[in-house]
Amino acid sequence: MMKKSYVLHVDGQEHHTVVASGDDQTLVQIGDGPLTDLDNWPVQGGKAFSLRVGNRMHLVHLTGMDSKGNVMATINGRPVPLQVMDELKAQALASLGSAAGNGTIAADIPGLVVEVKVGVGQVVHQGEPVIVVEAMKMQNELCASVGGTVTSIPVAAGQTVNPGDPLVIIDPEPGG
Amino acid sequence: MDKQQFSKVLVANRGEIAVRIIQGLKEMGIATVAVYSEVDRTALHTIMADEAVFIGPAPAAESYLVQEKILDAARLTGAQAIHPGYGFLSENGAFCRAVEEAGLVFIGPTAESMEVMGDKLSSRRRMRAAGVPVVPGTDEAVTDPDVAVKIADEIGYPVLLKASAGGGGKGMRVVHEAGEMASALRQTMGEAGASFGNDAIFVEKYIENPKHIEVQVLGDGTGNAVHVFERECSVQRRHQKVIEESPSPSLTPALREEICAAAVQTAASIDYRGAGTVEFILGPGGEFFFLEMNTRLQVEHPVTEMVSGCDLVRAMVMIAQGEGIIYKQEDLQQRGWALEFRLYAEDPSRDFAPSIGRIEAMTLPQGPGVRLDTGVYEGFDVPIHYDPMLAKLIVWAETRELAIARSRRVLEEFTLHGPTHNLPFHLWVLDQPAFQDGSYTTAFVGEEFDKNDWLPELGQEQMQALIGAASLFEALRRGDNREARGFDCPNAAPNWRLNAKRRMTRNR
Repeated sequence: MMKKSYVLHVDGQEHHTVVASGDDQTLVQIGDGPLTDLDNWPVQGGKAFSLRVGNRMHLVHLTGMDSKGNVMATINGRPVPLQVMDELKAQALASLGSAAGNGTIAADIPGLVVEVKVGVGQVVHQGEPVIVVEAMKMQNELCASVGGTVTSIPVAAGQTVNPGDPLVIIDPEPGG
Repeated sequence: MDKQQFSKVLVANRGEIAVRIIQGLKEMGIATVAVYSEVDRTALHTIMADEAVFIGPAPAAESYLVQEKILDAARLTGAQAIHPGYGFLSENGAFCRAVEEAGLVFIGPTAESMEVMGDKLSSRRRMRAAGVPVVPGTDEAVTDPDVAVKIADEIGYPVLLKASAGGGGKGMRVVHEAGEMASALRQTMGEAGASFGNDAIFVEKYIENPKHIEVQVLGDGTGNAVHVFERECSVQRRHQKVIEESPSPSLTPALREEICAAAVQTAASIDYRGAGTVEFILGPGGEFFFLEMNTRLQVEHPVTEMVSGCDLVRAMVMIAQGEGIIYKQEDLQQRGWALEFRLYAEDPSRDFAPSIGRIEAMTLPQGPGVRLDTGVYEGFDVPIHYDPMLAKLIVWAETRELAIARSRRVLEEFTLHGPTHNLPFHLWVLDQPAFQDGSYTTAFVGEEFDKNDWLPELGQEQMQALIGAASLFEALRRGDNREARGFDCPNAAPNWRLNAKRRMTRNR
């Protein structure tokens, strides 16, 4: 059997799992629990899994949003965003993240850039509005996630953007 | 009015309302013409209509709002009438006139009705003259703070400064005491001038935490009108309705009769033609006042259709054909209870910010008492340019209590996967005591909803199912294809195929 470990983040909680796949079955271990056959089946044209926990079959829809392991899931009609990646990748990302901090402000919904409020070289404070993206007649102001110096603005006003597109990149100030 | 049978009608709208109107026309044996923008090539209304005419780029100002393009589409296809739906050109007097000048029929009221009702001051004056109760206040524009203070002293604080041309919660300001008047008046006039190009402001008594009650009316254009009872629309967020119901839990039979009679009086006094809605606010003591009249088919018209059995689109078309009102007042009845839930692609936890994308999967609720009006389907990319409403879920049952229980079942059955949406929000509303006992007011969501603490925690089994499924999902996604959105690509899932083979064998 081939075993692989995964790290998940759901609702601010971290979870660890192991998926063991062999020639004729796939088993899942959640946390410290046993390796279990969840009786999982892909359904709805491969958009969802049905799987059994306890005595109940659950239907879970899943769609990958980007290459960073962000997944939109829907369970019992409720949308739940989560992150899942294999443990090696998670470790690599974690070490990168702690060294650099994350100063990239990315689009979270598709929309139109209405206004860029900062310029390259400008010093910004955490929480300061840096760019305005309009979607469905609503203007959404995106704010600096860290304080620091703006190093690059890959977009301009009037441009259409997609989720995950970097909009403003900030070089974080130490301690900022 | 001359009688004219339509053989073809153009629907100047998009989304669920275009679909609803096309459905009604098809049932009447009338051919349908849709119009569509660049991003609506694959929209449901475009596909459903007998003919579809392309009218330009995605922004509404370059397509759905361009009168000449709509008229050209009608001429091109030989449609005899235009149904405007709601929003877009539906309450535009100039468009209504242009349609008639082109020799076509506008399925709706006259331009004069739209204009009288589109201006709050003129509608107040007309309604007061017709004997319909209006909120105490002025009928003339006020520019002098001293005059405003004098009026406020007479009617009592708090008062509301309101832009005559305003709407949608814009151009309004509450004033609690004389000292606030001068700056409030200046600001409201500035806002109104900038937003509506008209800085006329009037003063009226501010009714705190009112209920929003509206009455569906049908008029024949010659002073005859009937009502199809009331709807209550007090569950609002950001001044927009999210849940509507009919009947209203707030009306006694006597009050219902009174408020519906006032609505008929409103419509009759302006020789209203077609379907319209007269909105009232209802104060805590049962006093009600005319607020405004919407001269169009409303988003929430299905709750009225569910409890009355009427087809409002058909009624509109028949009136436009010159056949008068197809329902007699004495035949109209309310039967049972209907609730409508507006399904928006939005995130309640982020101040209801729009959230869009592809409808990856959609499982529709079914069973007794369910109606779904929608303009989207599985695989549809929700465009960013228009209203984020995806669907309206309408639930009917014999009583309000049963309708709430059925709604819970139906909302839980509904799976929409893709953009974040407000289905869980509707379930939250159903659980609130103020909604259950019907005492909720327009302040309900603002006061009771805490965006950081409203979602029930996932149960332990649900969480395990979620974590298990997400791990399997990641394991099955093709490792080298970083763009893979799902696990449905052919070379993505050798594991489950083997799994499937084993199960099939076992089950055989």
